Amino acid sequence: MHGFHDRLLHVDLSTRRHHWQKTGESRLRAFLGGIGLGTSLLYDFAPPGVEPLGPDNPLILASAPLAGTGLTTTAKYAVVTKSPLTGFIADSLSSSHFALALKAAGVDAVVIAGRARAPSYLFVDDDGVELRDARHLWGRSAAGAEAAIRAELGGDVRVAAVGAAGENGVRFATISNEGRHAGRGGVGAVMGSKNLKAVALSGGARISVADPEGVAAAADALRRRSLGEHTAKYREIGTVANLAAFDRLGALPTRNFQQPTFAAADGLSGESLTENSFSRRHGCASCTIRCERLFKSLSGNEQRMEYETLFALGPLCGLEDPEAVLEAARLCDEYGLDSISTGGTLAWAMECVEQGLLPEAGDLRFGSAEAVLAAIPAIAERRGVGDLLAEGSRRAALALGHGSLDWAMQVKGLELPGYEPRSLKTMALGLAVSPRGACHNRSGAYEADFSGAVDRLSSEPGRGALVAASEDFAAAQDSLIVCKFLRRCFDDFYAEAADLLAKVTGWDYSADELRRAAERIHTLKRWFNQREGWRPEDDGLPPRVLTESLATGVARGTRLTAEELQAMIRDYYGARRWDESGRIPEARLKELGLPAGHDGAWAHGR
Amino acid sequence: MTGESDKVGSAVVLAGGKSSRMGRPKAMLPFGGEPLIVHVVRRLGLLFPDVVVVAAPGQELPELPVTLVRDDVAYQGPVGGIVYGLRACGSAAGYVTSCDVPFLSLPLVSHLTSRLPGHDVVVPNWEGRPQPLHAVYRRSVLPLLEGQLERGELRPVFLYDKVRTLKVEEDEIRTVDPDGSSFFNMNTPEDYAAALARWERTAMEAAPDRCEVELLGVARLRARTSRVSLDLPRSATLAQVLSALALELPALVGPVITETRDGLTAGHVCNLNGRDFVRDASRPVEPGDRLLIMSSDAGG
Ligand code: SF4
Repeated sequence: MHGFHDRLLHVDLSTRRHHWQKTGESRLRAFLGGIGLGTSLLYDFAPPGVEPLGPDNPLILASAPLAGTGLTTTAKYAVVTKSPLTGFIADSLSSSHFALALKAAGVDAVVIAGRARAPSYLFVDDDGVELRDARHLWGRSAAGAEAAIRAELGGDVRVAAVGAAGENGVRFATISNEGRHAGRGGVGAVMGSKNLKAVALSGGARISVADPEGVAAAADALRRRSLGEHTAKYREIGTVANLAAFDRLGALPTRNFQQPTFAAADGLSGESLTENSFSRRHGCASCTIRCERLFKSLSGNEQRMEYETLFALGPLCGLEDPEAVLEAARLCDEYGLDSISTGGTLAWAMECVEQGLLPEAGDLRFGSAEAVLAAIPAIAERRGVGDLLAEGSRRAALALGHGSLDWAMQVKGLELPGYEPRSLKTMALGLAVSPRGACHNRSGAYEADFSGAVDRLSSEPGRGALVAASEDFAAAQDSLIVCKFLRRCFDDFYAEAADLLAKVTGWDYSADELRRAAERIHTLKRWFNQREGWRPEDDGLPPRVLTESLATGVARGTRLTAEELQAMIRDYYGARRWDESGRIPEARLKELGLPAGHDGAWAHGR
Repeated sequence: MTGESDKVGSAVVLAGGKSSRMGRPKAMLPFGGEPLIVHVVRRLGLLFPDVVVVAAPGQELPELPVTLVRDDVAYQGPVGGIVYGLRACGSAAGYVTSCDVPFLSLPLVSHLTSRLPGHDVVVPNWEGRPQPLHAVYRRSVLPLLEGQLERGELRPVFLYDKVRTLKVEEDEIRTVDPDGSSFFNMNTPEDYAAALARWERTAMEAAPDRCEVELLGVARLRARTSRVSLDLPRSATLAQVLSALALELPALVGPVITETRDGLTAGHVCNLNGRDFVRDASRPVEPGDRLLIMSSDAGG
């Protein structure tokens, strides 16, 4: 088979056994790779109602058809599991050499279940599968473990690992490789719960494509386009450029969403960071855009910084000093914490302190760099108040009570990213209905708001279809996988991407088939959630967004009412052809070739 | 035709035409206290780095920041003027106009220049007639025009059948210059009086206004500055703002502002006052508006 290996690796850490299984062409055609393949495997291999941090929750690492083909921005892989933060699907992407190594390991996906008796790491190479002792690595940072394992096994080995946060079951822990993270939804906690410190890969499996010349020509064309106007932002400044722009637009969540502008935005902006502390530009393997930026702190450390981290540890927590934010980001990386959920949970705690609650949080106040820098290790190590905060804002608020759930800025348990819903109303809908919780990656609903095609401060029928289209677009990109920063380099994405897929796999694959696959993938995520207990009230936004008007900035006074949001949500369900309460009718499942009952019977077999 | 440059970097103003019915040189007719040619040159300077004025031998003109050339033989008609003007152009193509165009629309001029790729001449058709003195010519047509001059074919239209000519029709023109104000020219003292009245009407509405532009992201890094303040006529369009900005910060032309200086590159977008994203370059900018220029992709 071209583009895939038609092989899954199942590892049971409890029994230390593994077996191989055919992936099956019908599954691959229906779900592609990456997030799509991972979702279909999760649906099949997670027992309904599985406890996310229990041994039976499968941790799935899924490769993708375009990975390893040399196409720009395609060195990516997906981590899919049931999220300990949301209780629904967690589907995260990470990239670079580990992703290429996963493809070269000769598998389409690794499905890891069970729990190792002692700290271990999994090593897969051409000679076999081995569970190795990781007691000496326990407690180390992901980067430290990665370096140690490569020193042990050789430099051609690639490693994804968890830090202390993953080991300690922090519900928003990441899995990291080469400084990049499968960040959202707590996939690192699932890995840590299995006593699994890392996955190490080294393989030389041939990656065959059906039409090598066609792929090479397409790769060349895409590379050229990737260097054009559409990617200037990513090439010349990186995602940190969002901060000042969002501030001007009244869309920069500040102090736990109390304001949409930040007085210190200019000092913290990507422009200022670039002018004052730029150190180096970097990129994922096989990427021509190279959007990553490293900045130098006064202490000489080099730190990767992206918009979401900058927003969450800066304005969201009221931190003004770039040095403090760089250091907070470094700590999140070191311990393996999702910086968005870290910032979101800290901001919730700060507001609790402002309200006279949570005395054990001490001086954790908006703007207090010292308190933030002390709290991050405490969360990772579950020390003191850190133990509560390690649960994420929703669980922490439920435990604390006193109405503090009102200012837990999360959807389905996942903390909101740096997009103010009240001044980006298409995005508001996207955040409310995303299967992953408040998510800016598995759809790009904000694109409509920034396009000028809709009025971002109001809502009207039609936003539902925009969000659905954006989710499907993301599902296709996330399953092929191409980086979303390449998205505007296509003239007709579905046609061009289907053509690429056809050249790689040799399948006769049309734009319509790809569209249907994208819709199927998205629908299955939702169907998985429904199986795991999704209720209509899980689609929504935190009370603050629906009750308080914006306090500052150009959109000052703008509100998003609960009725307005409900109308958009109904419009979205309509666009999806789901029922009025958001449940997927059987007929829709059948149309998309999805299993209609949750009784385990499944078209593609277990 | 690969390798052909489509950049229209020059404007040519024919100032030496006969003004027999007007009774005095049109170029020197006062408008708002200044000779008309001064206004015309100033406006074109917003779009073109290189402006050429073709004058009659001995014709009196004010001091102008232009390349000045003189017709060898006076009054050969437009073809002569176009030939002398194009010869002096510093770029591969030029926009050619006469000097009696008090209401020349810059959005129209930019639009015409943007239509050049794949053509040798771009000429608007207004009220059923081609307007050779509102047209864009590649310098490569010079030999043909010189031949016409020798043969005494003094009308530019003879050229149009021989080269790749794009005629831009009225509907298209109206999308950028709705009432065709660009084509208002003056031949008699009555025309001048009417023009003056109109000029004063617009001048009342068009007291110069300050427009603040804030540059974000790539634009700020390229320009090495974050804020500029521009003086503009009150009814200026976004395209005019961008032209003025290009003049102020030439480093933006290419990466941020298009080569035609009337729009933004695909990677950028303009936002008015932090509120609305503006895609339409003919949109007027209101007094006190604050313009933000930022990346068109909000991803992160
Ligand atoms: S654009 Fe950035 S995130 Fe995307 S593949 Fe390239 S370096 Fe990685």
